[in-house]
Amino acid sequence: MNKVTQVYQRFPIARRIEHWIMMLSFVTLGLTGIPQKFATSSISIAVVQALGGIEVLRTIHHTGAIVMMLGTAWHILVMGYSVFVLRDQMSMLPSLQDAKDGLQAVLYNVGFVKTYPQMGRYTFEEKMEYWAFVWGAAVMGATGFLMWNPITATQFLPGEFIPAAKAAHGGEAVLAVLAIIIWHMYGVHIKRFNKAMFTGEITEQDMLHEHPLELADIKAGLVDRRPDAATLRKRQMIYYPIAAILTVAMLGGIYGFINAEETALETVPPISQSVDATSAP
Amino acid sequence: MQQRIQIRPPRIWTVILLLGIGLFVFALALFASPAQAAPSYQEDKPNNDFCLACHQEEGIDITLGSESLPVTINPTQFGLSVHSEEGIACVDCHTDISDYPHPTVKATNTRDFSLTFADSCKECHEDQYTKAHDSVHQIAMDEGNENAPLCSDCHNPHTQGRIIGQESGQLTIAARRDVPATCAQCHTETYDQYKNSVHGAALADGNTDVPTCTDCHGVHDIDDPTTASFRNNTPALCSDCHDNPEIMDKYGLSTEVTETYVADFHGTTVTLFEQQFPGQETNKAVCSDCHGVHDIAKVDNAETGIALRENLLVKCQNCHPDATANFPDAWMSHYQPSPEHYPIVYFVNLFYKFFIPAVIGGMIFFIITDIYRATINRRKGAKH
Repeated sequence: MNKVTQVYQRFPIARRIEHWIMMLSFVTLGLTGIPQKFATSSISIAVVQALGGIEVLRTIHHTGAIVMMLGTAWHILVMGYSVFVLRDQMSMLPSLQDAKDGLQAVLYNVGFVKTYPQMGRYTFEEKMEYWAFVWGAAVMGATGFLMWNPITATQFLPGEFIPAAKAAHGGEAVLAVLAIIIWHMYGVHIKRFNKAMFTGEITEQDMLHEHPLELADIKAGLVDRRPDAATLRKRQMIYYPIAAILTVAMLGGIYGFINAEETALETVPPISQSVDATSAP
Repeated sequence: MQQRIQIRPPRIWTVILLLGIGLFVFALALFASPAQAAPSYQEDKPNNDFCLACHQEEGIDITLGSESLPVTINPTQFGLSVHSEEGIACVDCHTDISDYPHPTVKATNTRDFSLTFADSCKECHEDQYTKAHDSVHQIAMDEGNENAPLCSDCHNPHTQGRIIGQESGQLTIAARRDVPATCAQCHTETYDQYKNSVHGAALADGNTDVPTCTDCHGVHDIDDPTTASFRNNTPALCSDCHDNPEIMDKYGLSTEVTETYVADFHGTTVTLFEQQFPGQETNKAVCSDCHGVHDIAKVDNAETGIALRENLLVKCQNCHPDATANFPDAWMSHYQPSPEHYPIVYFVNLFYKFFIPAVIGGMIFFIITDIYRATINRRKGAKH
């Protein structure tokens, strides 16, 4: 407890950039999306007008979606490297222990048990938020595709899936925005202003409070054990081509997402009606 | 000099009296609306019987260039006209005539002759005259189309009956029914579409709940209906009647058409778009893009009804050329999602209705316990 000045790296720079990308795209999507869900409210109308109109708003929303898709693709590549090349512990995977930790935390808070759960690199709160984001991104991506490409989608799916996608996209958006405002705000800003995602560092004292099992693993030398150079190179030689193919596939997928179809004509055909003016009395 | 001075006082009284009468007539003219009693412009003007003595003779005409202008006035028809009823004199409009023989007509054809009366109605009907001068018809006239309608083309001054109810102040039912025939004089193609439409056919059957031409286009200040702003305003126009349960309930029609339209992608966009750019084009559908303009049919019409998916698909393809058979169902046909109509949408909404409060409620519950524990621990000076 006296080594309070000792700090540990919690998030390397690449992960912090990832967080910035996701944060900015999420905020953009939320600010341009929620007014579309509640389109008739005066706040929404004000936001739409401030951003230059509904068509501009949609373009910004689509741009935010592209950035988030690219961020997701990047995350998948980084995770692949971590799991298959570095063979890091898959510390974000949820387990029964997380449910037990969550229950214990509540019981501790209300005073039924004496101790707060001891957790590792990611607490049940963090895992919940991460997997909620994964779930949300999957739902928003799938339903977003249906709305972005309704003609392509209805070649394979019933038409009703389009308004259903819109309903789910809106419902999920409300859930995501509320979860960020409530869960994320409380967990990392109000409970304690946790700067680890910006500075990348965490103090030993905070480690002891929040991630004691990880701290123990670090002390025991169980964390960040890198494979030797030869093994690393061998794994990289396998992973890089796979990653390259995956990259092409994901970029192709994103390109297809954006350009699958020309949904509507830009201009509506004009209505023409003749006037038989020669018969004027 | 002295003699003139002596007779001055009675003259002043005459002037004051005349001014008073003039003011009284002017005030009457202001309050009598819409058609005001015509002030008399000619002293000792010939009365109508004097004119009709000749003009009731059948088959008389005058020659203007190569055209002949019938100048017969049927006294019975004229007698039934509102102008006759209000005691308007022939010479109130035919101001150049006071006696026989008449001055020579300078117009070289019948249209020219009508055009010389373009401003006649203004004297009594200034409001309508001014509105008509802001209309698309006047624009056409100004652009050189002499066949663009004058007042008299829609309202034959010799036969026009009373069309505004004296008590109601509204267009009479009979007059409403006659509106399309008036417009049909020039807008024949449009009229042919309208008369077979759900609105036009009902009007012909004597139903005056349905819109006639003027209900959508206005009466005298008729706007150009091909502009973006007219198109953007279409949902508001249709909802004037279609949101009104007093009218719709009689026919079992939904009054949720606007609400469901605005809830949909097209309606949301048009509504938001129109607020900021009322005069700019949007490519999102408005009512008329699917239902038609003048040829609006019942949606369950066996042949053309857009309740039939294949008919609706044709409408979709106007803007979405690549749309295929499943595509029309992406539009919920003005239904609120329910277990019967669009159940997937209904159940998705239902799911989130419970899922969102459950998840967020759980989060709030945990946070409250956490704050509770932190407060207690802080008091105790303990930490976890």
